[in-house]
Amino acid sequence: MDRIWAIIELTFRESLAKRTFMAFLGISTLVCLLFIFALNLDIVDGMESYISIFGQEVNERIYLDELVYNIEAGIAAVLFTAGIFMALFATSSLIPSFLDKGSIDLMISKPLSRFQILMGRYLGAVAIVAFNIFYLVIFSWLILSIKTGIWNFGFLLSGVMIVLAFAILFALMTFLGIIVRSGPFSLMITYLVIFISPWLIQRDVIYALLSSKFYGYMLDGLYHFLPKMAELGEITTYLVQGNSVPSWLPLWTSVIFGIIMLTASNIIFNRKNF
Amino acid sequence: MNVIETHGLTKHYNKGKIKALTNVSLTVPQGQIFSLLGPNGAGKTTLIKLLLTIVFPTSGSAKLLGKDISDYTSHFKLGYLAENHRFPEFLTARQVLYYYGKMSGVEKAKLDVKIPQLLELVNLGDWGDTKIRKFSKGMLQRMGIAQALTNDPELLFLDEPTDGIDPVGRREIRDLLQELRNQGKTIFLNSHLLSEVERISDSVAILKHGELIRQGTVEDFISIKKQYLLQIAEGNETLKNICKTNEIPLISQNGHFIVSVHDDAHLNHLIDRLREKEIVIQGITPRKISLEDFFIDVIEEKAEVV
Repeated sequence: MDRIWAIIELTFRESLAKRTFMAFLGISTLVCLLFIFALNLDIVDGMESYISIFGQEVNERIYLDELVYNIEAGIAAVLFTAGIFMALFATSSLIPSFLDKGSIDLMISKPLSRFQILMGRYLGAVAIVAFNIFYLVIFSWLILSIKTGIWNFGFLLSGVMIVLAFAILFALMTFLGIIVRSGPFSLMITYLVIFISPWLIQRDVIYALLSSKFYGYMLDGLYHFLPKMAELGEITTYLVQGNSVPSWLPLWTSVIFGIIMLTASNIIFNRKNF
Repeated sequence: MNVIETHGLTKHYNKGKIKALTNVSLTVPQGQIFSLLGPNGAGKTTLIKLLLTIVFPTSGSAKLLGKDISDYTSHFKLGYLAENHRFPEFLTARQVLYYYGKMSGVEKAKLDVKIPQLLELVNLGDWGDTKIRKFSKGMLQRMGIAQALTNDPELLFLDEPTDGIDPVGRREIRDLLQELRNQGKTIFLNSHLLSEVERISDSVAILKHGELIRQGTVEDFISIKKQYLLQIAEGNETLKNICKTNEIPLISQNGHFIVSVHDDAHLNHLIDRLREKEIVIQGITPRKISLEDFFIDVIEEKAEVV
C-alpha cells in the first residue's frame, strides 16, 4: 500500500505544482473570508431581524434557513460546473505525461503491478480535486453553520457528489489519455460529454425532429451509456436543499460508466508496450 | 546461480515487419558486470525493456532472479536507470529519491538514512534541496544512478549510465560499479563506451540487427589465440633464424615481436630453442586487441560469428 501511496502522493504534488490548483485554493480562501467578514446577521426567533452583506442592509425579511440553503446551493452549483471544468482542465495532462518515455519506464521497473500504477495515478488526481472541493465546502459550511446555527449536512454530501462526478469524468479522460496520449484531445471529448448531457435529457424533443428511428436508438443508447452530468447536478441541488432525490438511477448508471472506463483503461494499459 | 536467463526471447512489431529482437537466449551469472553491446538500433534497450516488462515479448521466455519476468515481485530486488529517464521537475533531488525509493518498497526510516548517503555517493550531497529542473544532464544522470540504488538492489540495469558525464565522473561511476560488483551485485550494462566496458566488464554480449551474435568473457574476445608478444634483451637475428627454421611467423612491432604458433607445445618448442641459444626472454604475453577493435570486426563481420 505504501508503494501505491507514493504514486498518489507524487501525483498530488504534481497537481499542486500546477498554478491552477493553487489559484483554486486562493479563490476558495477568498470566498470563505468573504463569508466571515461580509455576512452579518442578527437573528430573532429563527428569522433574521437584520442582515447585511458587505455592510449593506437587506430589507426583505427572509427565513434564515432558506438563505443558508440558497448560499450553499449556489456554492455547490459553481463547484459542480466551473469547479469540475477547472479540475478537468488542470488534470488533463496527468495521464499523458506519466506515459512519456523515461517516466513510465521507471514506474514499471518498480515492484508494482500495472493496475497499481494506473490506479495510483488515477486516485492521486481524484485526491487533489477532492482536497480542493472539500477545502471550500467544509470551510464555507463551517463558517455559515457557526454564524447562523443552521447545520446543513446536505451541503457536505454535495461535496461527495461533485468529487464523484469528477471521478467519473476523469475515468473517461484516463481511458482517452491511454489510447491517444493527448491531454487536449481527452479534455475536448470529456467536455463534449458534459455539454451533450442536458441535450440527451431532452431527447424526446429531438426525436420529433429526426426522420430515422436509428438516430432515436442512438440517442437512447448515448443517454443510457454516458454519464448523466445534468441529472447529477440536479441530485446535488436536491441534497443541498434537503429535498428528497426523486431517482438515484442517474448516479448509479454514471458510476457504472466510470467503472467501465477504468476497467477498459486497465486492460489496455496492461497490454501496452512503452 | 544465473540472475538473468532468456530463452528465445523475441520482439517483433507491426506483425513481424520490424524485428527488434529475434530469438535471444543468454544467461548472466550472479556477481558479474555484464555488458550488452551493439550498434544503434541493435535491440539493446529493447532487451532490457523486455526483461522489465516495459514491453511484452512476441515469443520466448525469461527469468529474473529465478522468477518469470511476468512476476513483478522480482523488481523489489532490482534497480533500473533508463536511457533518457525523466523525473518530475518540480521535485528536489531528495524528494526524487524519497518517492522512487517508496515505490521500490523501501521504508521511510531507511530512506531517511539512505538518501543522504546516496546523494554523497553520486557527488550531489550539496544539491539535495535543489529542484532537479536546475540540474545539468550529467547531474540528472547521477540522480538516475542514485535512484536505481535506493532499494539496495541485487541486480542493476543501467542503460547508458555514463551518457553526458565528464571523464572524472565516468571514472567515479566505473569505480562505483566495481564496488557494487565486489558486494556481490550483478550489473547489466548497456553502453557505447567500449573502453569503459572493457575495463569493468566480466562478460559481454553483442547484438546486431536484433540477434545475439556473440557472448563470452572480455578476455576471450580481446585475446588473439595462438599469438604472443615476445620481448627479448638481444639476439634479434637469432630469433629470426629460429622462427624461420621452425616455420613460425614473426612480426616486429614497436620493439616487440609477435609470434604465431600452432599450440602451447609449439610455443614451448620455440622457448626451448631460444634458451638453447641463451637468449634472455624478458616477457611472453598473449597478444590482445582492444574490445573496440573486436567489436568493429564482429559488426563488420570480419570476426567469426557464433
